[in-house]
Amino acid sequence: MRILEAIIGAFSSIGRFGIFSFRFLKVMFRHRPPIRRTLNEAYRIGVLSLPVLLTIAAFVGTNLTMQGYHAFKPMGGERMVGMFVGLAGVRELAPIIAAAMIAAKVGTEMASEIAVMRIREEIDALSVMAVNPYWYLVTPRILATILVLPALTILSIYGMLVASYMVAVYQLGLNGQEFIEFLQRGATVTDLAYGAMKSIVFGIIICLVSCYCGFNSKPGPRGVGSATNSAVVTSAVVCVMVNYIISELVYGR
Amino acid sequence: MISLNNVSISFGELQVLSDVTAHFPTGETTAILGQSGAGKSVILKLLVGLLKADSGEVSVLGTDLGSASEEELYTLRRRLGMLFQNAALFDSLTVAENVAFPLEQQRPRPDSKEIADRVAEALQSVGLEGFQDRQVSDLSGGQRKRVGLARAIITRPEILLFDEPNSGLDPITSEAIDALICTMKRELGITFVVITHDIVGALKVADHLCMLHDGRIVEHAPIQQFLQSEHPVVRGFLNRNVSIDAQGGIRPPTIEEIRG
Repeated sequence: MRILEAIIGAFSSIGRFGIFSFRFLKVMFRHRPPIRRTLNEAYRIGVLSLPVLLTIAAFVGTNLTMQGYHAFKPMGGERMVGMFVGLAGVRELAPIIAAAMIAAKVGTEMASEIAVMRIREEIDALSVMAVNPYWYLVTPRILATILVLPALTILSIYGMLVASYMVAVYQLGLNGQEFIEFLQRGATVTDLAYGAMKSIVFGIIICLVSCYCGFNSKPGPRGVGSATNSAVVTSAVVCVMVNYIISELVYGR
Repeated sequence: MISLNNVSISFGELQVLSDVTAHFPTGETTAILGQSGAGKSVILKLLVGLLKADSGEVSVLGTDLGSASEEELYTLRRRLGMLFQNAALFDSLTVAENVAFPLEQQRPRPDSKEIADRVAEALQSVGLEGFQDRQVSDLSGGQRKRVGLARAIITRPEILLFDEPNSGLDPITSEAIDALICTMKRELGITFVVITHDIVGALKVADHLCMLHDGRIVEHAPIQQFLQSEHPVVRGFLNRNVSIDAQGGIRPPTIEEIRG
């Protein structure tokens, strides 16, 4: 019985999310976006997330290099670490880690902010003042994420590669020229473009899910906490699943 | 101008309003009274189109809210102002930005000077001149309500709605807000609908009183007639809060009356 209720609950949530997304899309294509708010959001999402994102990307790069080195060394293939970093880091890890960080930092902010606005009747106040809350709250966040997340992803890829190169050359004593040659075999500019494209999809997922969770928050501090938690968990799970589908479509042939 | 005809609404299995019919006269003030959970705020949300009735008809300024499109709803809302229970101000904005918010969203947008002038005028009429640059988070409960009221009147609405204007305020601030509503009523001459459980405040500001109990209207009449009502809910509400002398005058109850 409980399983049945859970299944029905999941389907009704998907239905509500569909209605939410439809309402947003209707507003997005009918009205001119709020440009100033979009730029403010872009600053908040982009500039303020960059330091933490670069730090994490750099340390992902260092660990990838170290693990790759120790895995390939017994087979005498340590020269190929660059290729490993290109394949695993550039194609897969950097975009999904950037998305996870954005979900954790920006998605939680979005969900909790909108949830608090819901509780304090600020969203109702927007409607009563004849301002569409989807236009005012969701559109700038989605547009800002679409603008900023590809750039953040590419910067985090570069951050990861620089850290990876430093560990490979200065700590593990590999040849720098060779590292770069193998790296170029593992990942090309096209892979960077795929990474950027993936990040746009992840950004849309994170924003829509986080805003949806905020809009549908239950009252009270527990409601806000639960909305924030759902936002980050759902965004991360959906992004990982979508990442697999995109990778399969792009690289699976 | 505002009418509800046989309106019913429920949330799940909870019937909130049952077959409610009421007409709020143009240019006058109607206070809707009732206990917590009686369905007062639901009426207000129906009037601004935030909720839709399950059955019946809600009509405001000639717009039938049941069949209105989204565009018609937004057009109607531009003619309304509302003071929310907790003022619903945006904490990230200053007082001036909050008050100017409805004007900033208008298309075409009024020029900056006109917006600044109208903000100053609205703040002056709620007794907060010079508060433009204050942060909303620094304001007291009463000041927040005043800013909310300034924001509600800045678009020069035809109907002003108040959701529990006195809730969470001390008696003195409460009285000041009631006095402000009375002043607004005189100055603006528009239709007011006040949702409250404060009978004393309602008696000060309203021309008509409407008592809601268990989702039904049990009394709806001009003040003097309302005070004579024999309905037990109305009597219970009145007797706890006010005393009425032989001439129909209203006074606070004595300590003996309060202690029974």
